[in-house]
Amino acid sequence: MIASRIASNEPRKEHRFLVNEAVARLALRTAGTYLPLDREDRPYQWSTTTYCDTADWTVLRAEKMGHATQLRLREYHRTRPSEAFTGETLFLEMKDDRPDYGLKERYLVPTETVMSYLRGDRTIESNGDSLLPHMTALVKAGARPVVVTQYNRIAYSSPDGTVRITADHNLMYLAIPWRANSDDAIPCRIGPVIEREPGVIIEVKWFDELPHWADELYSYIRDHMVNERPSKYVVAMRHLLGDHELKGLKA
Amino acid sequence: MTLSQQQPRPATNVVVVEDDPASADVLQRRLQANGMTVAVGRDGGEGLALVKRIVPDLVLLDVMLPDTDGYDVCLRIKSDGNTSHIPVIFLSARGEVVDKVRGLSCGAADYVTKPWNAAELLARIDAVLAQARSARAPRLERPTTRPARKRPAAAIALADPARRHHAQTLLAPTFDVIEEGGEAADLVLVDAGGMVPTELADDETAVLEVVGDGVAPGPEAARLDDELARDAMLLVRERRIARDLDAAADALITVATALESHDRSTMGHSERVASRAVAIAQVLGLDEQAVRTIRIGALLRDIGNAKLPPALVQKHGGLTAAERELVATHPLHGVEILRGIEPLRSILPIIRSHHERLDGHGYPDRLRADQLPLEVRVVTVADRFEALLVDRADRAAVSEPEAVRILQTAVAQGELDPAVVAALAAQVRSAEGTR
Repeated sequence: MIASRIASNEPRKEHRFLVNEAVARLALRTAGTYLPLDREDRPYQWSTTTYCDTADWTVLRAEKMGHATQLRLREYHRTRPSEAFTGETLFLEMKDDRPDYGLKERYLVPTETVMSYLRGDRTIESNGDSLLPHMTALVKAGARPVVVTQYNRIAYSSPDGTVRITADHNLMYLAIPWRANSDDAIPCRIGPVIEREPGVIIEVKWFDELPHWADELYSYIRDHMVNERPSKYVVAMRHLLGDHELKGLKA
Repeated sequence: MTLSQQQPRPATNVVVVEDDPASADVLQRRLQANGMTVAVGRDGGEGLALVKRIVPDLVLLDVMLPDTDGYDVCLRIKSDGNTSHIPVIFLSARGEVVDKVRGLSCGAADYVTKPWNAAELLARIDAVLAQARSARAPRLERPTTRPARKRPAAAIALADPARRHHAQTLLAPTFDVIEEGGEAADLVLVDAGGMVPTELADDETAVLEVVGDGVAPGPEAARLDDELARDAMLLVRERRIARDLDAAADALITVATALESHDRSTMGHSERVASRAVAIAQVLGLDEQAVRTIRIGALLRDIGNAKLPPALVQKHGGLTAAERELVATHPLHGVEILRGIEPLRSILPIIRSHHERLDGHGYPDRLRADQLPLEVRVVTVADRFEALLVDRADRAAVSEPEAVRILQTAVAQGELDPAVVAALAAQVRSAEGTR
């Protein structure tokens, strides 16, 4: 099996909010009235995302500048795994992350090959306008797993994919005691838990214009949110390095 | 052969986390009537504290709690290395499929909806406990004095006489098979999930589970076939190597401690570094072998100082460039001292590389992240952390939280492993919470 490209979208608008459980329930009831459950995402499945960065924090420093390309490894499980890289396949993802929109590219790869991609022994062929050169540069600079997020996700998505609303419960940020980018380093135990998110993360993603109902829901969430969130990677690193250290990181 | 008296099974300890006093009371009485010891937590915080303190056999958990929800409590239990093995059963009035899916996805063993039926609940509890017990076969320890033997001794504690006889035939060419109690064997054969007879085993005895034909044997399990004697001997040798490693290390640690005692400023430092490194390794969930390597490596990491001029090792205050260069050779000297001791080979990377940094600016080899084993990174962090807690000629001691912040800075600068420092921070927080 070789890496297969699963999705590549045009940049889509994307906002994240931390809300309490009551607001999340209302948001999900509203979303469920207008949108079907996403066929790709099993309700409340566990998403485990391993973020990679270099020893001198290339991605994190770029996030501080407002525009980064994240390199991450995403897996889905029915119950929460205590190890990363456990399934037969995982998604090798690149995400162009900007304050108001994101562009994601993901490749399904056999889990046993993932470290060879991080070592640069194996590459994915670019077919032109893609984020792959960013991955190549990060791998060359020594990218390795640095932090993991895990959460239960429930996702509603319009059939044409133009609107997607997700709620992430039980979001946790975990350390990953990574051994080496070698094939025998998988699976890799994760933990300890660095921090738990006390509420629910609602993400609203859309192309072009939001439909009227979604626009009203978006305004309601904004009015009742605890706060707006940067990417999960930035929050995870804030907990890992301490807020003070993140601010002091040289851009 | 006299099979041992089996240890009586202790009472099952259950923690119930339930905020409704009436429901908790009914449940507690029902469980106690069935021989269980029950502690009740009235909210998530109280329940978690009970689970951490008692480490029960089972947790019965309500979903809707005053201070948090049951899912969060379940995740906390399952993500703590000391409690993750404890099975959790949700008891909840929320009976929708999504609620059950969410509960089970958090790691619960079962989900029972209220109002519960007592017979069904007890049957589910029995099933969950049986599964948990078979996953963690008990090991009993009883130190005994071992007689010197030419061949290793094996005891066979299989319940079925025919299987016992077959095992005896298979092991006899390699092992002395012990038939009576009173003497600890090098190896005990037990049925899968079976008890280890106390009079035949001590803490150095290797235990090999005999699994059925259709079951794939794990690292400490084997089938009753021609491979049995070989598997058993390998396991016994592994134990002996570990014992030899401990013996060799103990002798050297005595020497290293004697050297350290000449310098009052560092006296006890190695022991503190080793304890801290072990604590970090345990938070990271490293296996027993890795923890042992880390402990011995941490204790002996500076043994190379023995080859440096005593005046330099004991010097207080700043060092000249030439002196610093000389001090930076101690990892290489340490490797030279220990290289010939085969059982200590696994700790050599710690001795050589505990002053390396992930960004390649450490010494002596300027190795980078991918070249530094996790065990080395653990000792490096423990060493730097403990050094910050004591006064030095050029700076005052800092508090533990401040030392963590300083190491987080070192992570941000690319020097230290983020996961190891996160584990240290978790360990410091946890220790503060218990003070």
